[in-house]
Order: sequence, then structure tokens, then C-alpha cells
Amino acid sequence: MEIKIKNLTKVFPGNPKKNIPDTTAVSHLDLDIPDGQLLGLLGPSGCGKSTTLYMIAGLKQPTEGEIWFGDEDVTNLTPEKRGIGLVFQNYALYPHMTIYDNVKFPLTNLRVKTTKKAVKILDNQKIDELITNNADEIIEIVKSSVYKEKISKDAAARKLVFRFHIVTSLAVKIFRLGLHLVPADELSAKIAGIKAELAADNQKITEKFAKHGYSLNEACECLTAEGTTIIETRRLSTSEIDGLVQETARLVQIDQYLTRKPSELSGGQQQRVAIARALVKKPRVLLLDEPLSNLDARLRLQTREEIRRIQRETGITTIFVTHDQEEAMSISDQIVVMKNGVEMQRDHPQDVYNNPQNLFVAKFLGTPPINTFSGEIKNGALYIGEEKILSSKSFTEDKPVFVGIRPEGFLADEHTKDEDKVFSITVKAIVTMGRDMSLVCEHDKFIGEDIKIIVDSDIDAKIGVMRFAIRPNKIFVFDAKTEERIRFEAK
Amino acid sequence: MESKNNWKAWLYLAPVIVLMAVFTLYPIVNTVVVSFLKDYNQINGSSKGFTFYNYQQILSPGGLFYEDVWLTALPNTLILTLITVPTSIILALFIAIGLNSIPFLKKIFQTVFFMPYVTNAIAIGMVFSVIFDTQTGIFNAIFGTYGFPWIFPVPGGATVAYGSALFSICFYIVWHSLPYKILIFLGGLQNVDQQYYDAAKIDAASRAKTIMKITVPLLSPQILYVMITSFIGAFKEYNSVIGLFGTNGGAFDKNTGPSSMKTMVFFIYDQIAKGKVQYASAAAVILFVIIMLFTAIQFKVSKKRVHY
Amino acid sequence: MENNYPNLQLVIKNDRLSAEKKNKLSLLGRILSLVLTYAFLAFMALLMIFPFYWMIITSLKEGMEINQMNPTFWPQIIRWENYSEAFSRLNFGTLLRNTLVVGIFSTIGTLFTTIFAAFAFARLEFKGRDFMFSILLATMMIPGEMMVTTNYVSVSLLGMIGKDNLMGAYAAMILPFMVSVFYIYLLRQNFKQIPNELYLAAKVDGKTDWQFLWKVMVPLAMPTLITIFILKLMGAWNSYVWPNLIATGNQDFWLITNGLRGTFSAAENINDYGVQMAATVIVTVPLLLLFIFFRKYIMRGVSRAGIKG
Repeated sequence: MEIKIKNLTKVFPGNPKKNIPDTTAVSHLDLDIPDGQLLGLLGPSGCGKSTTLYMIAGLKQPTEGEIWFGDEDVTNLTPEKRGIGLVFQNYALYPHMTIYDNVKFPLTNLRVKTTKKAVKILDNQKIDELITNNADEIIEIVKSSVYKEKISKDAAARKLVFRFHIVTSLAVKIFRLGLHLVPADELSAKIAGIKAELAADNQKITEKFAKHGYSLNEACECLTAEGTTIIETRRLSTSEIDGLVQETARLVQIDQYLTRKPSELSGGQQQRVAIARALVKKPRVLLLDEPLSNLDARLRLQTREEIRRIQRETGITTIFVTHDQEEAMSISDQIVVMKNGVEMQRDHPQDVYNNPQNLFVAKFLGTPPINTFSGEIKNGALYIGEEKILSSKSFTEDKPVFVGIRPEGFLADEHTKDEDKVFSITVKAIVTMGRDMSLVCEHDKFIGEDIKIIVDSDIDAKIGVMRFAIRPNKIFVFDAKTEERIRFEAK
Repeated sequence: MESKNNWKAWLYLAPVIVLMAVFTLYPIVNTVVVSFLKDYNQINGSSKGFTFYNYQQILSPGGLFYEDVWLTALPNTLILTLITVPTSIILALFIAIGLNSIPFLKKIFQTVFFMPYVTNAIAIGMVFSVIFDTQTGIFNAIFGTYGFPWIFPVPGGATVAYGSALFSICFYIVWHSLPYKILIFLGGLQNVDQQYYDAAKIDAASRAKTIMKITVPLLSPQILYVMITSFIGAFKEYNSVIGLFGTNGGAFDKNTGPSSMKTMVFFIYDQIAKGKVQYASAAAVILFVIIMLFTAIQFKVSKKRVHY
Repeated sequence: MENNYPNLQLVIKNDRLSAEKKNKLSLLGRILSLVLTYAFLAFMALLMIFPFYWMIITSLKEGMEINQMNPTFWPQIIRWENYSEAFSRLNFGTLLRNTLVVGIFSTIGTLFTTIFAAFAFARLEFKGRDFMFSILLATMMIPGEMMVTTNYVSVSLLGMIGKDNLMGAYAAMILPFMVSVFYIYLLRQNFKQIPNELYLAAKVDGKTDWQFLWKVMVPLAMPTLITIFILKLMGAWNSYVWPNLIATGNQDFWLITNGLRGTFSAAENINDYGVQMAATVIVTVPLLLLFIFFRKYIMRGVSRAGIKG
């Protein structure tokens, strides 16, 4: 489902009596999100990203603007009518229900629109298929499901569901066939017998449908006398609910915990349950509010890959909100950087990093952060202090500028041959970090605390003044007043 | 330092300990003991030995008080409790949920609903007896049941039916006990994280479903607390009977009304006033046992349904 | 199954309607439920208030008017004499004096015992602290009726019962109720919230526990103390059972509620209703005044009970 956001604005009214001004949380946001994209809304606290997400969800009303899902204007629709799934920052799992019930909850409120089918025949066919091809495995599984020295129906059913991806009721039926109680030499006879029973049952059902005037086609759908399928809107059957829950549980890998309560799970597991609950109703849009902020560092890496995998598998248009730029960079198809309710840039992650449109975006992305200097453009060249860093014919106007140089953009040793393009910096400390070396430096035109430079560890570095050349693609120039990027061609 | 603290602490606790020992702990023990004493004389504390006599008088047919307690006071108390507690809890729940969901006028409604709590049970009981008056009561006037005897018999005419008297006292008890419950439920509701409601909205749950499946279960600790305290309170109903029916607890006779609206506690105080402390003690012990039983049952049932 | 279920097209109710219609429907639904909720609450609120209203207007009516078949909703003639009569019949002066004496002294007594006990349980470390506290809590479960009989015997053995023993009667009405486990619990909670650092700082400054208690903890816990004060006072005003027992035979010892019920037995004569209601108004008004001024304290104290749950 593609999402279009037009001129979205949210203003929180202030209180004139208490001199609290109006707060503009989101300001004239325009976004087009194609179907199936994973979009990251990135920005510092208070930049309006969560507010935007909640407006897309329908939990907050926009002051101005429109939200479209495909060709439907959902701006004034209540959340339940939008068909979205939302993963809350604190998961909001219902604490008094089991995981199974939590994931099942959305389904109990929905209806399904499907063709009328002879479900029983389909089930029988499935049983038939399983006992023909996998009888031995079934017996093994059942025999191994022992609880308190007795074979347990529930444990066996769970294992069968896990292994064959069937519904619980079907698994119970298979268990009840009692294949594990039959001696080996009588097994094939028993199976043949069951198959015959199933065939007879199918026949009976077909006849019953015929009495009502329906015939069945290949896929066991009911056909009217004219040969058309019937579409009905009805509640989901228990089996269907079970099927969807199991399927979603498998997708996020929580199928082991379905009988537990949320308080018994770890943070990461709870998170996956929240995702399952959002996905189980096959929404057209999936929204995640700071999904990783409550997890510890190791889990964060794991989980964000999970989110990526799940999104790829399901193909659902997904928007997630975060303040962690690394997170956004690593999994998004596109990133929207926001500040004070305004979109700062929108691009592929690598482009946002390599091609920042303004100073804010440049500073926000990258660890360690970009080094900012104040400099000026003079006579077609860029100067920081007295040193000429580079020249370009794009530098037409003389003006003061901000210069951002990525930590990895400094070249030492043999690159510093060309006097014309060298930058002198005072190195204060050298920190070796295995593969790289981090140099802590200072310069009087630097804005901020310390300059951080990352170079290979086999560079000849020393405390004191060192000279570096700058990689042209790692240096960005911004107008000092507007903070907009000034693009140039390096000579 | 430790021992100094010990000594000081006990000093601080001394008044409490002394008072409680005399007026709480000792009485509990003593009451149980007295209930087993025959012909206890409260003035000089003498007695004629241990016996089940007192209990017999209350519990077995033919006993002195069998009719008063087993046939009248106990059933009265039980019926009263079983009617008023569920009714008031359900009403209070609805009101609290309603209060929690309205955007304006919350404070005003809260104040109004809480007013009955700060009043005197007996005083307002008397007001209710005026409202339910047979000839002049506004209740009869509003519902057009002129002359229907709720509390007072029609002189020379219809007697007060047990059901009518029961109705009036239950009505009053529910009215009086609502504020406390509403307040507790409201407090509990406000503690429910808004996020759960948001999540339920996204999950397309209807209003009714949200209340049944989310709000009420999350409120279950408060509901249990209210249930237990209400049951205990209802079993000890006394003031309302005095207020509504007068100091003799509606001692009607054959000509005027049902046998009596006395409750268990009424019987206890009655016996004390008559100086028959041993019977009062026995009745008190019985009351205590019943209360404990009900509370234990409620705890057992709650294990499964209450979620913290 | 894999063939079946993933292809289910899940649909929201009423999906066939256009987005416009959906909006309108949900808006209508929301307005309707809001209206219904307000109506329900208003109705219940009316029920809650009605007795008060009826009490007041009946207290101002003449006997004749009260006796009418069609009751009026506003007195035709306002009979202020009902009140003066109520005052005198009630022997209001004596009752008020008794109630205030008992109320104030038992409240002050309770405050002291509660402050001491709560302090001990909240701040002091001593052996058996938790054990003692649990015993205290356990006694809350015992119904008062179990103790009444013995207490009555005790106070008579202590010589507090007697025809002319006013002081004794006061003592009998105050002493047994100078301890309230509930208030100890409430205050202890409040004390516990005061950070321990303050205590340690005071110790370093050389203050004794006593000074710390009165100079720091009590002022900080003042809201709770006010709540306790008010609730206890209200309790004394509303008490009936115990004073009734103590004062058997001697109406001069009655507290206000005893006086109310005792002076007016039910269904005497119709003119009486006016006076009766005036009396109830007199008894109820002070409570309502307390409520108006101290509403916050009262409501907070009661709802705290629920959190304990």
C-alpha cells in the first residue's frame, strides 16, 4: 500500500492565560512512500517524528493536511478503520492475556472476505497427504511428546503444528488417529483404512453441498449453478484464527512462547510479540515507534535485522521512527531526517550520509560526528583560516561558510605532497582502536570540543602539528547563513 | 546503636501496644473464651464452666435464639449482602468507567457522587424513611404507588411485606455505598496506561469489547478489594437498619409487617444491652467465622481471575 | 494450510462503505455514546443528590404540607420554626459539647499514637519490626463486633460506666479508639516516601530522632495528617454504636448521632417529619461543610485505601 502525505501539520494549542505559546510539532510535511518500502523517520527528540507516526496511525488528528493510503483519504478515519499495525515503544502488550491471546486479539475484531469453501474436505486432504508421506515422522513425534510418563496430546499437537505448519485442530485430529498405537506391520493397512474413511467423508460432504445446489471445483470452492464462486464476509473460524496466529508467530519466531504471559518474557521477546500482534491482521501499513530503544546493545543489532527480514518477507509498507542514526541507516530503504517538525532531507541512507543537504543532516549522521569548521570562500577557493583547502570553479561567490569534514576524510603521509591542498591540524592525543587510529585534535577554526579524525593504524602519527589532505568527497560546504549545502566540482 | 534503637522504638510504640493489647488483642481472645462460658456474669466475671450452650441456643432449633438468629438475623444479613454487593459494584463500575471517559464536568460529577460518603448513615437513613413513607413518601408519589407500605404499615391496613422492607433497605445501602466504590474504581482506572487503550483502538476493538476484555481485567485488583471489603461491610450492616427502621430495627409484629429486619450485628448489640454477653460473644464468633469463610472463598476464586 | 490461510483477505467491518460514510458513522457513534454516557451519569447523579434536596425542603415544610397526597417540590410556606424546635428537642448544646469533646480528644490522641507508631515502623530499625507490623495489619481484618463485648466489660470494670460519671463516659468513648491501624498504615506509607537522606543528614547535624520527627517528618507529612484529622473527626461525629452502649440509660452522655436517632423515633407524628428533617440537616451540614473545604484531603485518603488493594 503506498502512502501519500500532503502538507501534514500539527499544532498543539498553547494556553494564552499561562503564556504558553502554540507548539508546532509537524510543519507542512510532504511524503510519498511507495508500496513495500521500509522508511525510517530519523531525528532528535522533539522533532515531530513520533507525532507524524501517530497521525498516520490515526491516534492524533492533524491540524492541516491529508493522509492517503493508496487512493483512499484516511485523514479523518479512526485508527481501527485504517488497517494499520502499530508497534508501541513500550510494546503495550495486554499483561493479563497470554501471548497467544495477545496476538489473537486483533483477529477477533475483524471479518474475512473470502470464497465459500468446503473447508472440511481441504482438511481431510491435508490429513491424507500427511499420513501418506510422513507417517513415520508423525509417529516419532507423537512418541516423543511425553509429559509425566504419559504421551501428552497437547505437547504432540504443538510439535506437529511446529513441524508441519498445520492448524492445532488438525494436529489434534492426527493425534487422535492413533497411528502411534498401531504395531508396525499393521501400519500400512491402518493408513489405507483411514484414507478410505476420509474419501468416504469427502464424498458425503460433496453430496451435502450438492443438495444445496453447490458444486465444488478443484480448489474446493463452492460454485453456484452458474459456475461462479461465492464471496462471503464472515467471522474468522477458530481454525483460521489459529492458523494466522501460528503463521505470524513462526514469522517472528515466538511460536515457543505462545502459552506464556508477557511478564514472563524478556524485552526482545516482548518486542517480537508486539510485532506479531501488529502483523497478524495483515495490515496494509506497519508502523513502529522507536522499536529498538528499549533493548540492550547486542539485542538491538539482532532485532533490527529481524525487522528487516520480516519486512522483506511480508512486503508490507513500513515506517519506523528512531533517533538512532545507525539504526536508521542500516535497515531503511529510505530515510527522512526531521528537525523541529520540518523535513530536512529525504534519500537513501547512503546518500543522506554522503550527500547531506544541510548542516543539520551532515551533523546528525555519522559516528563520530562530522567535524565542523568555520571557513570562507575567497577567490574561487575554500579557505579554513589561512590555508587553502581546495579550489573549484563552482566557488563563484565570496562568502563565509561552514565546512564539514568527515572523520574518515583525512589523508596523511604521501597524500600531503600537494602544498595547495593541505590542512594543518594540531594533534592532541592518539587513540589506537585496533584496525583504526583515532586522533583527537584541535584547530582554532573548529566549532566544538575536539576534532576526531579516523585513519589507518599504520599511519605515521605524532603529537603536534600534522598535515592532512582532504578527500574531496568527504568535505561538505554549507552557507553560513542558511546552512544549505553548496555543491561544487573538485578540480 | 542497635539496642538503643530497639529500646527507643519500643518506647514509640508503647502507647499503641498498650492500647491495642487492652482494647483489641485481649478482647478478641476474651470474646472467644466468653462465648464458651455458661451464665457469664459480666460484673464479676464469674461463670459456670465451659460449654457449647451458648452456641446451641443460637444454632439449634429449640434454642432460645434460634428463631432470632438462624431464621431471622442470619438470613436477613445474607440476603442483604448478596443483593447489595453485586448491585453496587456493577453500578459503581459503570459510573466509574463513564466518569473516566467524559471530557468535561468530571470534577463536578465526582463531587456529587462522593457526597453520600461524608454523611451520617443514620441521619440519611431517616431521610430515606421519610422518602419511603407510606402515605407521604415521595417515592410512592413518583411511582404512583400511593399508600404502598415500604417501611411503615398502613394504620389499620396493609402490612409491610418482607420484600418491600428489603427493597427499601437494599436501595438505601446501595445508595450509601456507591461513593466509596466509585472512588476506588476511578483511582484504579486512572492508573491504567493510555497505551493499552491505544493498542486496543488499533486492534479494532469496539468500545464494549475494550471495556470487557481490557479495562475490567486490568481493574481486577481493585474489584477484588472492593468485593472483599463490601462483603465484610455488608455483613456488619447495622447503622442503616437503625437509620431506616428505628432503634428497634423494625420489630414489626404480626399485624404490622415482616418478622424483623434485624441483622446479625443488631442481635449482638441487643444481647449486650440485655447483659447477656455470652450470647453476644457467640454470635460475634459465628459472624467472624462466616466472614472469614467468604473472604477465603473470594481469595481462592480470585487467584485465577485477578491480574496484577 | 499454507495454501489456505495466507491468502485470506482480512477486512474491517463495514468496509464496503466509502471513507466518507465511515467517517460520518464513527462520528455519529461517538457523539451518541457520549450523549448516552452523560445522560446515564446525570441520572445517577440526580439519584445521589435527591435525598439531600428532599431533606432540606422537607425540613422547611409545615406538617400539613408534608402530609399532602401530592408532595410539593418547594415548600409553600417556609417554616423556620422546625429548626428551632429541632435544636431544643435535640438538646443540641449538650450533644454538641459531648461530641466535640470526644471527637477532638480522640482525634488528637489518635494523631499522637499514629505519629509515634508510624515513625517507628517507617524509620527505626528494630528487631521484630516486620512481624509486629503484619500482626497489626492482621487485626484490621477482625470485625469490631468481636471486641465490643469485651471492651464494654473492660470499661465497666475500669469504672467508667456509671449513671453520673461523665468523665468516665468520655474516657470510655475516647480510649478504645485512640489507635487506628489504618491510619498508622497510611502515615507509614507517607513517612516512607520521605527520603532517607534527610534522616541521615539530620543525624549528622546531631539532631535526635525526636527532633527529626517533629521538625522534619511531621511538617512534610502534613497533608496526610490533615486527612487523618478530618476523617477521624468525621468518624466521631458519625459514631453511634459504641456511645449508645456507653450511654445506656443516660441521655446526657449521648453523642450527636445517638441524640438524633433517640429523640425522634420513626413515624411518630406527621408534623414531626419537618422537625426530624431539620434535625438531620443540622447533623449533616457540618459534615458537608468539612467536605466542601477539605474535599481534596478526604477523597485522597479514601482512594489511597484502594491502591493498597
